[in-house]
Amino acid sequence: MTDTLPQVREASSAPDAAIERLLETQTPQRPQTTGTFQVEIDGRQLTGRIGQTILEVCRDHGIEVPTLCYEPKLPGFGACRMCVVEVEGEEHPPISCSRTCEPGMVVQTQTPRLRQVRKTNLELIFSDHNAYCLPPCQNKCPSHIDIPGFLKANTEANPREATRIFKRTIPFPSVLGRVCPAPCEEHCRRDEVDEAIAIRDSHRWAGDQVLKAQAKGEKAPVPFEVQKPSGKRVAVIGSGPAGMSSAYYLAIAGHDVTVFERDPAPGGMLRYGIPQYRLPKVEVLEAEYQGVWDLGVKIVCDAALGRDFTLDDLQNQGYDAVCVAIGCYDTNTLGVPGEDADGVFDGLEYLRVATLGLPFPGHKGKRVVVIGGGFTSMDCTRTSIRQGASAVTLVYRRDMKDMPASNEVHEAIEEGATAIFQAAPTRVIVDAKNTVTGVEFQRMRLGEPDASGRRRPEPVAGTEFTIDCDRVLLAIGQGPQLDWLAKGSDGVAATKNKRLAADAVTFSTGRKGVFGTGDVRVGAATVVQANAEGRRAAYAIDAYLKGLDLDAIRTRQTLAEPQPEFLSIVPFTGELKEPRFRLKSMAADIRNKSYVEYEIPYSQQEAMSESKRCLQCTCEAIGYCDLRRQGIEYGTTLQTLEPQARGAFSFRSVSENRFTGINHDYIRDDSHAFILREPSRCIDCGRCANVCKEVVGAACYDFMRTGFDTLVTTPLDMSLNTTPCVSCGRCAETCPTGALMPKPRVLEKYDVDESRCILCGICVDACPYDALRCGPDFELSHESRESPMIDLMAISSMDRDTEISYVRRERDWADRAAATGRPWPADRLLPMLPPGIANGNGSGHASENGHGPGVNDGGSGGGHAGHTHAR
Amino acid sequence: MQILRGDAATPSILLARAADGAAEPSLSAAEATGAWKAWRKLVKTVSPEEIVRKITASGLRGRGGAGFPTGQKWAACASQPPGIRYAVANGFEADPGAQLDRTLMERDPHAVLEGLAFAAFAVGAHQAYVVVKSTAVVAVRRLRDALRAAEEEGLLGSDVLGSGFDLHVEVREIQGANVLGEETVLLRAIEDKRAQPDQRPPYPAEKGLWDKPTVVNNVETLAAVPWILGNGAEAFSKIGLASAPGTTLVQIGGAVKQPGIAEVVLGTTVSDLVKLAGGPSGTLKAVLVGGPSGGFLPPSELDVPLEPGALRDRGALWGSGTVLVVDDRACIVDLASLMTRFLNDEACGKTIPCRIGLRRLAEIGDRLTTGHARPDDVQLATDLSSDTRDAALCGLERSAPNPLMSGMRYFMPEFEDHIVRGICPAGVCQPLRVAAGAAQ
Repeated sequence: MTDTLPQVREASSAPDAAIERLLETQTPQRPQTTGTFQVEIDGRQLTGRIGQTILEVCRDHGIEVPTLCYEPKLPGFGACRMCVVEVEGEEHPPISCSRTCEPGMVVQTQTPRLRQVRKTNLELIFSDHNAYCLPPCQNKCPSHIDIPGFLKANTEANPREATRIFKRTIPFPSVLGRVCPAPCEEHCRRDEVDEAIAIRDSHRWAGDQVLKAQAKGEKAPVPFEVQKPSGKRVAVIGSGPAGMSSAYYLAIAGHDVTVFERDPAPGGMLRYGIPQYRLPKVEVLEAEYQGVWDLGVKIVCDAALGRDFTLDDLQNQGYDAVCVAIGCYDTNTLGVPGEDADGVFDGLEYLRVATLGLPFPGHKGKRVVVIGGGFTSMDCTRTSIRQGASAVTLVYRRDMKDMPASNEVHEAIEEGATAIFQAAPTRVIVDAKNTVTGVEFQRMRLGEPDASGRRRPEPVAGTEFTIDCDRVLLAIGQGPQLDWLAKGSDGVAATKNKRLAADAVTFSTGRKGVFGTGDVRVGAATVVQANAEGRRAAYAIDAYLKGLDLDAIRTRQTLAEPQPEFLSIVPFTGELKEPRFRLKSMAADIRNKSYVEYEIPYSQQEAMSESKRCLQCTCEAIGYCDLRRQGIEYGTTLQTLEPQARGAFSFRSVSENRFTGINHDYIRDDSHAFILREPSRCIDCGRCANVCKEVVGAACYDFMRTGFDTLVTTPLDMSLNTTPCVSCGRCAETCPTGALMPKPRVLEKYDVDESRCILCGICVDACPYDALRCGPDFELSHESRESPMIDLMAISSMDRDTEISYVRRERDWADRAAATGRPWPADRLLPMLPPGIANGNGSGHASENGHGPGVNDGGSGGGHAGHTHAR
Repeated sequence: MQILRGDAATPSILLARAADGAAEPSLSAAEATGAWKAWRKLVKTVSPEEIVRKITASGLRGRGGAGFPTGQKWAACASQPPGIRYAVANGFEADPGAQLDRTLMERDPHAVLEGLAFAAFAVGAHQAYVVVKSTAVVAVRRLRDALRAAEEEGLLGSDVLGSGFDLHVEVREIQGANVLGEETVLLRAIEDKRAQPDQRPPYPAEKGLWDKPTVVNNVETLAAVPWILGNGAEAFSKIGLASAPGTTLVQIGGAVKQPGIAEVVLGTTVSDLVKLAGGPSGTLKAVLVGGPSGGFLPPSELDVPLEPGALRDRGALWGSGTVLVVDDRACIVDLASLMTRFLNDEACGKTIPCRIGLRRLAEIGDRLTTGHARPDDVQLATDLSSDTRDAALCGLERSAPNPLMSGMRYFMPEFEDHIVRGICPAGVCQPLRVAAGAAQ
């Protein structure tokens, strides 16, 4: 097809007439010609149009060349050096945005050398990019909940919207509002002002309002539009947080989901591992799960993998995909003598009975020792107190600050438990009937940090001590039950750590159509991590069911998840101090006898005022930011979910940037009514300056200063209000990052009651944007902002216009010649001059200013002979 | 600055007519020694194409540092579609301390103007500029005087010597950073825009001043043009190297007995230049050829001829034509990181590798001199330099890693002393010794 297109147009011969010469010199720089030619780009034979740059040819044919400073409306600028390409036969790679494509060029856009150059560029940008994409709270949340988003909805007294935003990443705001350890709050930047926001309590309130409405018959909000049925069937094994999260998003994606649960009721660890006083089963758990059943998810209870069915069975029944999310239920053993004695119990078994509302046999009045420092041990401790144990002692081998459940240990101590840190059991002391009488412990010393970053406990010889007790509850971590692997599940394997082997990004096991997610893949973790795993697995399974390439999902997942770390940032100092609103709770001596929830939730007023404390320190450009997109693509400074390094959620961060050094901290400028400037996010691409100058004509921005301190900013860094800004917003539109943003603002329209106006004109004087003006009849007239814009455009186009400058110089020369009295011929002026100046009669303008040509021979010059004007 | 005269056999093209620095070079005196002779003769009789042909035949290369053949440049500009063209003489001598172009313009402004007139004539430009650093007040004044005299004489202006060719020359004073010496930056400065380079191609010959075809030449290049046209291209091409004929100005400074400016034929070795300046005043350690973005050459490499290609191969640069002799009291690591920091401070800040990359390179240099070097700093500097060169927009950016890179190439033991042993053999980097002492 392409060889029938017209060939390269021959250069036209020079026109004769002077006016045609003038027209020729003023033709557009990039002629809109239809002539075409062939080039080879990335091994493809492509057709380019004459005058196109390499980049334009690439974009026309869907070849992605990264750019940061390229503005399609303007000629290439060449500041970001991201669009470098290799052209055969050239030593240095040219940049494609300003290099004209020539016939027969052989271009490569993605060689290792180019990628290295681009990566270095990005790393250099990030080394001086004092900003972050997501706020720290959202970044630290394993599921990346839009925390500023739902807090904002809370401040508007809109819990339904807050819940909807929450459910975009985790379907259970009320459950998480009770059981989440809230890693987000540790990183809240409100801490720089006074105290972190109560993020967990805030979404708990929002979720609870929705549950209250649900009780009255309203449906729970669904975060996304439910897709049309896909006709695919998915089996999710396990109805814990991971499995249900997975089922929820798969159902929204339009798949037919069936959940298989081993126990008589759904919930997994949420139901059988977390006591009633922390998570009410009927009011919260079941009510929130109702939102999943409402989407058409089916549940089969009392059906265990390996016991009642195998993977083969499921796939033979026609399930297109199977998601294994069976969690971790095998408690680790201590490995010390006497562990099998009577009175030593598995903490999970104990909790399972307790959460059913049954008293554990013979627990009342006993002395109990709980070993472990996680959430299970805490639940064992506090449940034992509630079940009337006479003395409960919690023993943990590390320090309190390294305890996973450190925030809950205070409450346990308040309720009457004793806590001992830095001690590990050496043996269980038994009597003749092999019944527990006590546990011998040994003190631990904290040594060097281990792989988890916590200091490794080392035993200290000779520090043994004994605690007398009647019962021992073991809560030292769990692993998954994997005995089903042997039966009817070929192709699925376990890892060395006795976890289910599944990819960290695609979640695929070795077996086609079988995915593993949640605790069974990563080991016992928090509820929020399990939820995050479940959601990401749902996306992977959805992609699999749509027949997409799983390796392609890897990229997409990486695009969806990772976040850059941030450097030092300008701290919030000017904010009003307003401390956190803590949840009230029942007194310890009342709550330690009761299974009722002991925390008193927020009222609407409290929730709103707590949410209002959020600084909304998010980057408004997220989702639109070219820098972020390219940073992810080139693997610079961003967290990646690569499984090989440092555990399940490993990442690379800015601190690993090769070029970390001095960086700039700039102050945000929010003085303008419509445009927010955040210079710390500026990458000095110059797009705003070029667009403002060349397209708008206002020239509010330019490069200022030199060297490392160069910044694209307003003259003297002044407020945008002092520039000729016309508030058109083109700068914010073209900014590739979040350095210039349209301010979120509700535009109001003002009504003027003219019967009451006394025409004082104060409003005219006061208006900062000249939106009001005095009209000819001394009445207020509505003026647009056009006038300053037109003037500026005229001025700037004059500066650029070569012909006009040329005329000016001609005039100056003529004046000088006249002043020195030197003769010069009448036809000296080039014929291309506009008639008003070239012909001696001149326009009024030229004559008035004394710029007529001095023509001494009086020939063709007309009335200007003997011109002796001196300037 | 003192003019160093070599032996009588050295041909003198550029400074042949130069009076001593004090006397004002009047037009009549200059004409008596041959100025404007070629212009008077050729402007009425010879076509522009003939001028271009002669310059091409002479093999003259640009003296601005890159060494691009001047004839080719003119031909490229002349072959553009008809319309307005410009000619620009680049007298903005950017490198600190360099006084070559300034000396030339002070002593023989007529040669510069005549060469510029030929350049404009050859490409068909009717407007030309001589751009001078505004601190070079004497040069500006003498150029203006010479220009006025030439216009009064009818050598320049409208209808030059009755030939019908118009040429209006303007002397522009410009002040700014180091990067202004780059030709596209210079053109932006003439347009009163911010001094930032543009991507080449398109070269100025195609799209220069106000987007019109423009020929930009160094004043030294232009000053050789009248000689070539007066004495013939063949005579010129016999001087010096066959690949790069002619003479050039060099400035020899630093640790030499008699610093000064000399006119030498291209191909003269660097060691000859040092001898011309009376030899080193102390123990010769290195020679920095090409100004701050040039390269350090050790004594063993001083046989390199003064020629762009050969210098580039050894990691140095022709650049401004300055030769700085370094004796053993100086520390190469310190000098190299000083140069890098200077270049970063003088950068226009347009591109990322230049604005941030050079800063990181300077930070690496600082780490070396202050005793905080990291084990992979040498590798990091090498990688960064290579990526900076690949992604470079202008010549400053491309040559900026030269001092550190050539330093590492020839003086690695000294770098290793800083990194591994924590000492500075020259005793320059004081904090390093303190840091090393504290570590022991």
